[in-house]
Amino acid sequence: MTLTATAPTRPARTAKPQRRRGVLSYWRFYLALSPFYLLFVVFGLYPVASTILLAFQKWDGLGPRKMVGLQNFGFLIQDSTFWLSLWNTVVLFVMSTAPTLVIAMTLAVMLHSAVRFKGIYRIAYFIPNITSLVAAAIFFAAVFSTNFGLINAGLRSLGLPTEDWLRQPWGIKIAISTMIVWQWAGYNTIIYLAGLQAIPTEQYEAAKVDGAGPFRTFFSITLPQLRPVVLFTVIMSTIGGLQTFTEPQVMVGNNGGTGQSGMTVVMYFYNQAFFNNDYGYAGAIALSIFMLVLLFTAINWKLLGGRGRQ
Amino acid sequence: MELSRRTLIAGGFAAMLGGTVVGCSSSMDAGTTKKNATGNIALWCWPGGLGKSVLDDTIAHFPDQHIKYSEVGGDFKQKLLTTFNGGTSIPDITGVKGEDIASMLPQANRFVDLKTIGADSILGDYLDWKVKQATTLDGKVLGIPIDIGPTALFYREDVFTAGGLPGDPAKVAEQLKTWDDFLAAGVELKKSNPKAFIVADAADLYGTIVNQGTARYIDKDNKFIGDQDHIRKAWDTAVKAITLKVDGKTLGGSPDWNAGLDNGTVPTVTGAAWVALDIKAACKTSVGKWRVAPTPSGPANFGGSFLTITKSAADPAAAFEVIKYMLSADNEAKAFADAQIFPATPAAYDKPQLKAADPFFGGQVPIEVFGPAAKNIPIAYEAPLDSAVATPFTDELKLVQAGKKSSDAAWSSAVQKAKQIGKRQGVQ
Repeated sequence: MTLTATAPTRPARTAKPQRRRGVLSYWRFYLALSPFYLLFVVFGLYPVASTILLAFQKWDGLGPRKMVGLQNFGFLIQDSTFWLSLWNTVVLFVMSTAPTLVIAMTLAVMLHSAVRFKGIYRIAYFIPNITSLVAAAIFFAAVFSTNFGLINAGLRSLGLPTEDWLRQPWGIKIAISTMIVWQWAGYNTIIYLAGLQAIPTEQYEAAKVDGAGPFRTFFSITLPQLRPVVLFTVIMSTIGGLQTFTEPQVMVGNNGGTGQSGMTVVMYFYNQAFFNNDYGYAGAIALSIFMLVLLFTAINWKLLGGRGRQ
Repeated sequence: MELSRRTLIAGGFAAMLGGTVVGCSSSMDAGTTKKNATGNIALWCWPGGLGKSVLDDTIAHFPDQHIKYSEVGGDFKQKLLTTFNGGTSIPDITGVKGEDIASMLPQANRFVDLKTIGADSILGDYLDWKVKQATTLDGKVLGIPIDIGPTALFYREDVFTAGGLPGDPAKVAEQLKTWDDFLAAGVELKKSNPKAFIVADAADLYGTIVNQGTARYIDKDNKFIGDQDHIRKAWDTAVKAITLKVDGKTLGGSPDWNAGLDNGTVPTVTGAAWVALDIKAACKTSVGKWRVAPTPSGPANFGGSFLTITKSAADPAAAFEVIKYMLSADNEAKAFADAQIFPATPAAYDKPQLKAADPFFGGQVPIEVFGPAAKNIPIAYEAPLDSAVATPFTDELKLVQAGKKSSDAAWSSAVQKAKQIGKRQGVQ
């Protein structure tokens, strides 16, 4: 409404030379954008800055803060639990992201070809993503439980030996990554599907004329055309995957279960801050997660983005 | 029209900006203790922390104090800390959970020392060891106990008798005096019933045994003592359960545990009085088949919380009157009837609410086991860092349980990790 009302005055203004308008003359636009930035400053930037500062302090959550320099990082380097949690995080990330993206791509290609009830499939695949994480984790813990779990019941009916899934270091990782795959495959499917629909059909027709089979078409047309979309999903999965928290916390408890093999860096950070009241140390761990995400994103960018932008 | 709409939007942003600035400034005077307005008492507790009828009755009993009760869900301690740091809207009276009280003791200056407002007259009514948990090393008392969690051995009478063990609580108490007796009974039970593991989870058993002791991981001089005999003994008993193969490896509260309670594969639970609620919730077919006996090797405590008065309280004396009333022996007995909140006042154990026979336990009167247990709980100093230092022990024990590590290797790695956590926080 405002737009249509101001429209008549527009031509007169834009006709004037560009330099007459300083940054300030855009104030309306900045004003319109400001809600995001104001909220971001309060709820995003301030906590981030405060966490960075906290990493160099000792604070129990209530008393005075004390500057301790690099002491927290000194402890961090020697802390075997921290390195273990870092290892767990990376392993869980690989174990969950790779299958998620492969499954998502497969589903997307299948959905893209003529299928009936496309809408229903799309909804069905997307629903896990909007399911409550805690509810899903409780469900998965039940599925993987030793005596009465669905997985072990299946193994038993096939005459295979059962496994104490949530009591074995690798079992814990498998259970957690299975849940992440279940939750995120559908989300990525929808993104890939959108990407697929943007590929011009002429390219496929040309490929058909040249006699390319379905696999050749997929690897020579679909995948290269989807490169930016794949990059996006990989980066989003990296950012999400390296911050895994709820799944292991609900499934195997705050300490990450047997051998702490479900202990992720974010969980370790949470334990240090909110159970051990060691907020400074937690701040140092949080910074390390930040660096890790940055590092992985840069690697992904180089690997996947590089050739696409030439 | 257009102009006024813009002014309106701009005005809205200005108001929001103003609000943000105010929000920031109020959080900046953290640390000061602003007094609340007089004439009102703000009371904080978590869901189910106080009995409903007791609460309603207390509010009605002090009409002039205008008690405003807030039920704070989620991470209670974190919300309390955040409010303390914020410096405004701090409650006059707040609950503090048993597991959090140790970490609150160093923050004694945030709370009113109840001894300065006449707590001495009532402290004798509460169990001594429980009051000690809320007492600082220099003698300040920060909280009055709401409840406690004395342990007992819950067991399946039918599974025990079928396995050649005594079924009667008095006889069970006689035969299962120590953990060694208990494990021996487990071996006996497994002979006739290979699916019944007398220990639900060896890692849980370890925690119980540590709680039965008079010393924990860190002593009063802030020295690490987790590598000493009292901890090693608890460790060895738990390992013994694993090597004797009487450990069910069933995590408490897991789906397997819940199902196992009802079908007899988890025939015993060593737990606090409130665990009875979990057992009752899980059991449909085994109602009336459960019994309660004293914990082998003596009672321990799990949980149990406090009411404290903050430095922000407008009128600490009035707040103390409220606490005094609310946590009297009569009212603690009522709270037990309300929601199984186990009284911290021995006088309450003779009230009719606690003397009731429980059909779930085959008509047994549970207080006959829990009452003596509550009075005999050992006093151990719990350092603020205690639970953090305890973690590696349980974690490493789980590796022994999973067959991934030998007991000795796991022990030395637990001690080393615990020392490192302690060192970070200045423990010697």
